[in-house]
Amino acid sequence: MIGLSHYLVLSAALFALGVLGLLTRKNAVQVLMSIELMLNAANVNLVAFSRYAAGNLGGQVFAVFVIVVAASEVAVALAIVLTLYRLRRTPNLDDADILKG
Amino acid sequence: MDELSRSLAWFRPELALVIGLLLVVIAEAFGGASRRLALRLLTAGSLAAALTFALELQAGGIKAALFSGMLVIDPLSVAFKLILIAAGLVTVLAFSFRNSRELHGLGQGELFALVLALTLSCLLLAAANDILMLYLALEMVSITSYVMVAYLKGDRMSNEASLKYVLFGAASTGSMLYGFSLLYGLAGTTSLPAIQDYLAGGIPDANRFAVYAVTILVLAGFGFKIAAVPFHFWCPDVYQGAPTPVTALLSVLPKAAGLAIALRFFYGALSAPEAGTWDLAGSINWKALLMLVSVMTMTLGNVAALTQTNMKRLLAYSSIAHAGYLLMGIVALSENGARALLVYLAGYLVMNLGAFLVVTLVHLHDGSFDLRDYPGLYRRAPLLTLAMAFFLLSLVGIPPFVGFLAKLYVFAAVIEQGMGIYATIGALNAAVAAYYYFKILKVMTIDPGNEDKPALQLAFPDRAWLAALALANLVPLLFWERIEAWARGALVLYAGR
Amino acid sequence: MSGEAVVFWIFATLSVASAAVVVLARTLIYSAFALLVTFFGVAGLYVLLGADFLAATQILIYVGGILVLLLFGVMLTHRIYDLDLKSGTIQLGSGLIVAAGLFVILSALALKAAWPTLARAPAPTTAGIGRLFLSDYLLPFEAASVLLLVALMGAAMIVRRRRDA
Repeated sequence: MIGLSHYLVLSAALFALGVLGLLTRKNAVQVLMSIELMLNAANVNLVAFSRYAAGNLGGQVFAVFVIVVAASEVAVALAIVLTLYRLRRTPNLDDADILKG
Repeated sequence: MDELSRSLAWFRPELALVIGLLLVVIAEAFGGASRRLALRLLTAGSLAAALTFALELQAGGIKAALFSGMLVIDPLSVAFKLILIAAGLVTVLAFSFRNSRELHGLGQGELFALVLALTLSCLLLAAANDILMLYLALEMVSITSYVMVAYLKGDRMSNEASLKYVLFGAASTGSMLYGFSLLYGLAGTTSLPAIQDYLAGGIPDANRFAVYAVTILVLAGFGFKIAAVPFHFWCPDVYQGAPTPVTALLSVLPKAAGLAIALRFFYGALSAPEAGTWDLAGSINWKALLMLVSVMTMTLGNVAALTQTNMKRLLAYSSIAHAGYLLMGIVALSENGARALLVYLAGYLVMNLGAFLVVTLVHLHDGSFDLRDYPGLYRRAPLLTLAMAFFLLSLVGIPPFVGFLAKLYVFAAVIEQGMGIYATIGALNAAVAAYYYFKILKVMTIDPGNEDKPALQLAFPDRAWLAALALANLVPLLFWERIEAWARGALVLYAGR
Repeated sequence: MSGEAVVFWIFATLSVASAAVVVLARTLIYSAFALLVTFFGVAGLYVLLGADFLAATQILIYVGGILVLLLFGVMLTHRIYDLDLKSGTIQLGSGLIVAAGLFVILSALALKAAWPTLARAPAPTTAGIGRLFLSDYLLPFEAASVLLLVALMGAAMIVRRRRDA
């Protein structure tokens, strides 16, 4: 019988893995991915509680908003990463010039 | 529908800002030579309208829950809103693309829209009454700040700082979210008053651990916004990397909103009001934890500031230290504590914005943020130095400046709760801080150097704002009874049912 | 084992294993594709929990939006190996200890706590969520549009190349 505790332990695992990535990864995009794992863990919690503990849809609505926020955060973060990439690039380094001005 | 129209009627400050935001975004699409001025007027007008509406709300003394319990209106939240809108308005008026060298040559429309969006988000955060709304508002404040900090996209250090800000912020709010998910699971609802009922009803021992974890995780989010230790790491780099007007705004707005919601959360969710005092549910000694955070914050901020030569970093550490003092208002967990928090924030607004204005102006004329380039300013810009003296003395907390009043309130609130040692630590910290504030003053006035540099020609608006903010630091002490009465009246905290 | 249990364990293992790959993989591309699998795994779990709207949203937005954006980010910056934050990272060993400790603590409190038991029978959720958006959660729903405006404007402004007036 699959119950609430299964999902909670799962989300704890995802959250812990996210924190691991946050602490050990050097690359900014990988840190961002780790943070997404943390957010997904919280979302699993919310949906599981909605199903088994709270009996209402509040958790699921909350999860939708978390997805919205995550999307905004990633957009802004990647914009900054891209700008940083452009600034650090030296003229003679790259031949795959995907970024055209 | 009825509740909706009623809610909208009391939502006027925020509506003014939303309409202003939309108009600025639309107006920005049109070109024109006077566009910059028009956008600035539009932004300032929108903020002024919001301020007027907020003043009306304050006079009304309303207590209600808005939008199905998403927000709360009570005199306390309106008082915070006044401070937040005032901070936005002063920043938009005192700082400009003209007097900030960092902003020269950059697009203008977006920054005004972002200021409006930031203020709006802070208003929502300060009044949030539901953990979903709280999370959303907090993230709105954060993401708007990330974008504002990244405004100097041509500068590599600035970009690195903003990236650090985003990642650190996302991690902190992500942790807070996990805490909120657990809270939802425990209480079965996202509404803060309902959560308060749940917690006041007595927590079974099995759940005690979970409540512990929730509060620590939630503190991660609040601590990050307030820049309290150990969530302060982003602060010096971000303050240094952002354009100074943005730094000035960020030093007040998110901090004040974060403190407002922390106050409401600890009172509105984690306390048992029937007990008479603001006793926290579960009899868990949160006071000690918060006190520890507060002490670490003020100490670290002050000690780190001692050796800084970059003015923006120095003021960043100074802000961190002040967050520590501000937390005293929350630790006191009493009406006087909340009152102290309000007064301190209002004073902090004029002290900090003034100091940042001075730093901006010096950078405009001399191109430097380094304290070692500050000697001789007494001779070259007497008005500026005098104003800076006011701001610095206020930051130290010396009478007759407003900073003294602020510190008096927080220390009194804390002593009244029997935490004498805590107050002593605060006073010691203030004494340590005095060293670096006085050092700045000394460099500006007494230190030799820069004799060959010409006098600073300050434009009239700049001189006017320096004078206005300087006076704002001095005058409140004359009206301290009025302030006391205002703070006391604002102290009605509605539980938002 | 019941059918539900089988499906749960499949998706659970998928999610956690791929999450581990995301965090431990050598190259960015491996991490990104592992993240794709994690998102799908979580979507599967949502279906199992009866959250049909959320599962669809997860796939549409997380996979179809966020992950695609991350992949673009990875592809466009693939030459930079040092686009990193050297300060503040710790060794893998100590990181594993911290993460393991965190997992133990969170699991313990999850298993120990007496959660309420108001279950919600699995039923289509879209109508219910829609209703909530327009009644109880109306304000966040509208406020989110301001958030999206700021993010859109902000990201575009940051990335924009042309010299501003």
